[in-house]
Amino acid sequence: MATDFWSSSHNKRWIVDRATLKQARIDDLHYVENAEQLDFLNIYFANVISKLGKRLQVRQRVIATATVFFRRFYTKNSYCETDPFIVISACCYVAAKAEESPVHIKNVVSESRLLFSREILTTPAEHAADFDTEEEYGIKHFPSDNSKLAEMEFYLVHDLECDLIVFHPYRTLMALCGKEAILNVAEAGELGIGVDGGPRYWGTGEGKLELEEGPLQMAWFIINDTYRSELCLLYPPHMIAIAAIYLTLVLNVTTRAAIQTQAQAQNQPAPPPTRRSSRTSSSGTHKKAPQDIVGFMAGLNVSMSLVATIAQEIIALYTLWDRYKEDATPESSRSTFGRPPSSASAGTKRSAASRDTSVFMGSEELSTAGTPRLADDVVTPAFLTHLLFRMREARLADVSHPATGRPVAVNKMLERTQAAG
Amino acid sequence: MASDHPAVLDDNRREHSRPLSPQRGRDHDLEQISRPHTPTRGGRDELYSIVSQVGEGTFGKVYKARNAMNGLYVALKRIRMESERDGFPVTAMREIKLLQSLRHDNVVRLYEMMVSNGSVYMVFEYMDHDLTGILSQTGFSFTDAHLKSLCRQMLAGLAYLHHKGVIHRDIKGSNILVNNRGELKLGDFGLARFYQKRRRSDYTNRVITLWYRPPELLFGATVYGPEVDMWSAGCIMLELFTKKPVFQGTDEIHQLEFIFKILGTPSPERWPGVSDLPWYELVKPKEVIPNHFRDMFRKWLSPAGLDLAEQLLAFDPTKRVTAVQAMEASYFKDENPPAAMPVGLANLEGEWHELETKRERAKKRRRTDGGTQ
Repeated sequence: MATDFWSSSHNKRWIVDRATLKQARIDDLHYVENAEQLDFLNIYFANVISKLGKRLQVRQRVIATATVFFRRFYTKNSYCETDPFIVISACCYVAAKAEESPVHIKNVVSESRLLFSREILTTPAEHAADFDTEEEYGIKHFPSDNSKLAEMEFYLVHDLECDLIVFHPYRTLMALCGKEAILNVAEAGELGIGVDGGPRYWGTGEGKLELEEGPLQMAWFIINDTYRSELCLLYPPHMIAIAAIYLTLVLNVTTRAAIQTQAQAQNQPAPPPTRRSSRTSSSGTHKKAPQDIVGFMAGLNVSMSLVATIAQEIIALYTLWDRYKEDATPESSRSTFGRPPSSASAGTKRSAASRDTSVFMGSEELSTAGTPRLADDVVTPAFLTHLLFRMREARLADVSHPATGRPVAVNKMLERTQAAG
Repeated sequence: MASDHPAVLDDNRREHSRPLSPQRGRDHDLEQISRPHTPTRGGRDELYSIVSQVGEGTFGKVYKARNAMNGLYVALKRIRMESERDGFPVTAMREIKLLQSLRHDNVVRLYEMMVSNGSVYMVFEYMDHDLTGILSQTGFSFTDAHLKSLCRQMLAGLAYLHHKGVIHRDIKGSNILVNNRGELKLGDFGLARFYQKRRRSDYTNRVITLWYRPPELLFGATVYGPEVDMWSAGCIMLELFTKKPVFQGTDEIHQLEFIFKILGTPSPERWPGVSDLPWYELVKPKEVIPNHFRDMFRKWLSPAGLDLAEQLLAFDPTKRVTAVQAMEASYFKDENPPAAMPVGLANLEGEWHELETKRERAKKRRRTDGGTQ
């Protein structure tokens, strides 16, 4: 089957290793204080894409695709040599078209203008002081001309090598939890949807995991959150989905209780004919026999060590995100992102939440117990916006007055072609 | 600087043609094509040199071009960008996505995408002829076995598309490509789209070139499926034998009248639900016409061929055969002669595309016009 994940460009060309990502950021690294700031930028950009996507009223899937496009673009370009804001707009614009729910270019331009001018205006005074005049902002104003965005779209599609088909973990999540009916509506126009059932493209698994609405939503939110990192470039989407399910099972109160019951049952000396049946039969506290969660995970037939690695990276992302605050003032932010996710184990209580929410947002009410943070430990969007300006300025200065006396090659595309030739 | 140039500091990347995926050959035979050439400015040393124009696609011209590295011919389809104020056309994006996910002997292969001089090109395998062109030439005559093979290959391509959940929505002579080895491939996916098998959804009914448009679309249906392609396939099947399009209407109403004249008027028994279609009251037949189909085509088609064509041209979309069913027809399975690929096309002089046929006709017309004056 030519349209499956394994033969797709996503799998063949766009799953990269850490070294490649490091290489892609090598220029940017000169203009930041530490590599961590680049990780914060990953969160920041994903948030901006998500905000723009919501303004454009596109589905979560379009936002996810736009984020993947953005990450792919920046495996070949540097933040300091480009204007990430117009790249973000172009990513949203292309993603909407690629996912069969196009938005008008004028709409993208006007919403981008509104959003980005606000992003810049939320600058707190201490950061604004770094900049000499108001005119500095003028440069960053988003072009009102449609053709600028259309031109950027051209470069974007070029660097994406016209590979517009992106796979996402949501599909695996829904397939594993037997919610394909919902999937069909949610992902109309996606490849292979018209194809009759067909086997899963990985693993053996016939097993289905029965998740209640709460845990299922939590897993969905965790997947949303993974786009704040570069995970979508590093691992296949179905592995990310399994890692999200794994985290949900451990962190969510009900599922964790089920696993604990199961583990206790296993430890009790019972005379089992087979292991599996003993597990399912020995704990009768629920109405029906609880499902064999551990057995389900084992039956997935994927590398559990890789799942654990991805889960670790997701937790690392949350630890970092904990220090990222949307609000400019540290006081108010504490109530928003005050807690590491491991303690957010009660999971989301919001039942009617929409699908674009993060786990963090979902656990807001739990965050009052969060430890207070020092202000200098915290990174704000305003700070990152200014960091981007400074990077860009410094890069421009370096290019026009190179310290080495030698002109710096700016066009990486040209560099690569020359190397190849 | 930033304000007059989005994102990139240097515009050099638009200057020279460069395959979009230089670092990896997708297939062994493509490694040559996919490898980047030495970058040089100016057009002469470009990877592909254009030989001639061979067609006009839904959103741009199609050229025959030669790969300078390996001498192989390709078809370059240029996506018009300058006329698109909204940037990359959504139809082009759809076609790229579709073709990247399709791989079948009877579907034209998209080798790669390429950017040159500010245009995006789709690089296809080169096909020597299209069906309209090849049926209009007189240098090679097709036997019944050849025509059976062409018909079967078309149905095999459609069966694959429909299995993949894709409706082509523009099956016609100039979109059916034939090469010198006698292979037939479906091309131009500019109007194609994915459809959902389980849930019927609303689409535009302004698709499919008029002569190949099924009656339900002419009656205004917006909820349809792959059956629309099967009607077009029926038209093509007849055209293989008659050498020219069968239902040549001038507008939607005339098109329906043309169809009725041959196939008769649809009765509620023949097509339950026809009267519920949106435009039925506007364009319904004024008088009852009997079906003349068999009388008219008996001299062209064999009995089993007539049966299949009739099933493809069923008025009621629910009764129309699917591509898979059509391939199982007695016409292919039992009736002699068995299908044979028209391999003799290799000896045919020239390349036959609709574009050339049209130009030839125009030239002739000019000549005769000049003669009468």
